[in-house]
Amino acid sequence: MATAPVHQPSGFSFENKLRNDFLVEKGIPLPKATSTGTTIVGCLFKDGIILGADTRATEGPIVADKNCEKIHYITESIRCCGAGTAADTEFTTALISSNMELHGLETGRKPRVVTAMTMLKQYLYRYQGHVGAALVLGGVDATGPQLFTIHPHGSTDKLPYVTMGSGSLAAMAVFESGWKANMEREDALNLVKAAIAAGIFNDLGSGSNIDACIITANHTEMLRNVEMPNQRVQKERDYKFRRGTTAWKKEEVRKLVVDEQVTLLGGGDEMDVS
Amino acid sequence: MPGMVSMTQPIQQSFNPYTENGGTILAIAGADFTVIAGDTRQSEGYSIQTRYAPKVFRLTDKAVLAVNGFAADGNMFVKKVRQRLEWYRHAHAKDMPIRAIARLIQTMLYARRFFPYYVYNILGGIEEDGTGAVYSFDPVGSYEREACRAAGAAQSLVQPFLDNQIYFKNQTPAAGTAFPKHLPLSTVLPLVIDSFTSATERHIEVGDGLEIYVVLARNSTALAGLQSLRGVQEVTGTNDGERVFVIRRDLKKD
Amino acid sequence: MNTFLERYSSTNAVSQLKRAQRLAEEEDEFTDSAWGSQAGYGQLMNGPPSFTVPNVPDPSSFLRLHTDDHADPNCRIKIQHGTTTLAFRFQGGVIVAVDSRATAGSYIASGTVKKVIEINPYLLGTMAGGAADCQYWETYLGMHCRLHELRNRERISVSAASKYLSNLVYSYKGMGLSMGTMICGWDKTGPAIFYVDSDGTRLKGDLFSVGSGSTFAYGVLDQGYRWDLTDAEAQELGRRSIYAAGHRDAFSGNTCNLYHVKENGWEFIANYDISKLHYDGPGDVAGSPGHGYGYGIRVQGRSSANPPEATAAA
Repeated sequence: MATAPVHQPSGFSFENKLRNDFLVEKGIPLPKATSTGTTIVGCLFKDGIILGADTRATEGPIVADKNCEKIHYITESIRCCGAGTAADTEFTTALISSNMELHGLETGRKPRVVTAMTMLKQYLYRYQGHVGAALVLGGVDATGPQLFTIHPHGSTDKLPYVTMGSGSLAAMAVFESGWKANMEREDALNLVKAAIAAGIFNDLGSGSNIDACIITANHTEMLRNVEMPNQRVQKERDYKFRRGTTAWKKEEVRKLVVDEQVTLLGGGDEMDVS
Repeated sequence: MPGMVSMTQPIQQSFNPYTENGGTILAIAGADFTVIAGDTRQSEGYSIQTRYAPKVFRLTDKAVLAVNGFAADGNMFVKKVRQRLEWYRHAHAKDMPIRAIARLIQTMLYARRFFPYYVYNILGGIEEDGTGAVYSFDPVGSYEREACRAAGAAQSLVQPFLDNQIYFKNQTPAAGTAFPKHLPLSTVLPLVIDSFTSATERHIEVGDGLEIYVVLARNSTALAGLQSLRGVQEVTGTNDGERVFVIRRDLKKD
Repeated sequence: MNTFLERYSSTNAVSQLKRAQRLAEEEDEFTDSAWGSQAGYGQLMNGPPSFTVPNVPDPSSFLRLHTDDHADPNCRIKIQHGTTTLAFRFQGGVIVAVDSRATAGSYIASGTVKKVIEINPYLLGTMAGGAADCQYWETYLGMHCRLHELRNRERISVSAASKYLSNLVYSYKGMGLSMGTMICGWDKTGPAIFYVDSDGTRLKGDLFSVGSGSTFAYGVLDQGYRWDLTDAEAQELGRRSIYAAGHRDAFSGNTCNLYHVKENGWEFIANYDISKLHYDGPGDVAGSPGHGYGYGIRVQGRSSANPPEATAAA
């Protein structure tokens, strides 16, 4: 049995890195990954955690998705907001979500937020920042409500209110002036909405709608598009094209239904399905 | 390969007087009117510097200039163009015709050939023969008279739309008919507004506000339709016959 | 001669006074003439126009940093490039044909550029390289040609005009000008073409093509060129060559502008849409083949068993 003549390490392939660095140096830029410019926040309140996110995804200065979901599922009572490279945040959280499910089945207990945090930071550290995921991880477990930020290189913080992404400064300004310990659910949600709105309106990388997620000890409520402050106005004209607007070079009409003739071979017995 | 040679040469890195301030401008010429529009957001990187920084300026009653690119250069450039036009008024007791303004802008931009103004200019207005005119410039002064032109951050989003709707590119007319050569103001204004609302949807540097200047030729037929419009404001300065109007609209602020 | 001395000497009293005045003035040295209609190009009598140069040790590398898209594709100021232009001399004068596309990187900045600059009624210049450089200096050349007429009571020769331009751009060598132009006209010696570029090259010749699509144009041009072409044949050759370049070169295209220089000055023949040339041909004009230029149209329905007529006859 022939084996591969070269060593094939598991995980990511870096075989084109040298070539791509050379191309960049020659003035051929790498294709841009979709990034979630993003404002993401999380804060502690009386009964648990509230996470918030905007819904804009960008490719450079172009809006790639006007209503994407940035609050990812980890477990029923743990969620994670992602900023940075869209693919990295999605796949990292999905991977950790799977591992958390397995972990839960193996231990027979509800997995804790610190477990997810540790798995995430170890995963990100391994790739030395090449996996561009900046995360806000929040949830409620046996030890109570927990809230973390995880940076792309693997460092973490544990704080009562956190923001990340390009709109983090705008959002943090709102938290710094408005957050208090043991807030009511309603007040905390309004604060999170205000923080995300600050990002949406003052940071060009963030925009469109507000998503929020309220996690308490025995209930998680995902508030998708809880506010939609940026609905498109009606267009002034409707753009309908007359039939025959597009020029064509030739016309060919084909019959797509193929007539088949089935000739049975053998005795023509019915199939035995017993 | 010329690119290879310049790679190896030392490049001056320390002096960088340019930034990009986003935004988009456009102008469309009609038979006896011209529309010149621009959004009012000024940004740098991911930050909004101001939500209201005009990019479109009335020069005379027959000429309006839109500038886009580096805002400091743009404002300085408009200031200097206006100064030259005022001197012209003092010397000749009349406003400079638009084709002369276009040539003036060329020489002013080209005087900075070795230290360019980082500005894309679009000049719109009424020609001496009463037709609508749009002149577009590159940063060092090459120019061309056109029927429509978009420039700035969302140029590549807006211009294809205009090519399709104004020049009817990639559209074939019904048999025995032809597309109109000039569109009426009642069609052009909605196209301009839709250009900007659409650019706002998909480009992060476009938004906040929209300023549309309309320059009408003497006895333009577009006058009646214009005056019934919401929020139209007249900014005509003389009694020469040409009239200038501004229409302001909100754009999304996210 | 005295005025010359005064202008160029740096020691006499007048020039020292002038220098003192200049220092007192602002960065833009407006003379009195700037107040009137002599502004801009009008200040010819004060010598060549002056340019603002950044106060850095190496101004041309500053310019390259901010404008040259070879060194840095993301640089902010995009100068338009990409072109096909051609001109050739024949028995009936000069044919000048150009495309109309301007590109900035991969974006088509304009499809309606006038790349033939009408210097005066009997001189044409073509545009390749920096659009502003060509427009500005060829306009400037036109004014000097007029001054030459007024001074010498006769039209400037194509040779002299092109040399004026060549000397002018040579004086800016290394500063970053970019132009490749053909000065075409008809003078006492008959039809003439001079190729002038920003390196300072100046060549007299019968046939030139300049720009990114020039190789495609040369292919058609060389194959069909003869001195004794008729006017109609020559115009068709110019048209067909630009079509070929527009078809194969991504940085050329949109439309073709065709000019014919005859003894009494140039004549604008027409503007042709290149995709129309491909499918339908130039229409009912002299020299037209009567159908589209496209390969698919020329060989439609033909195969080796059923060859096109021309091949069958050969």
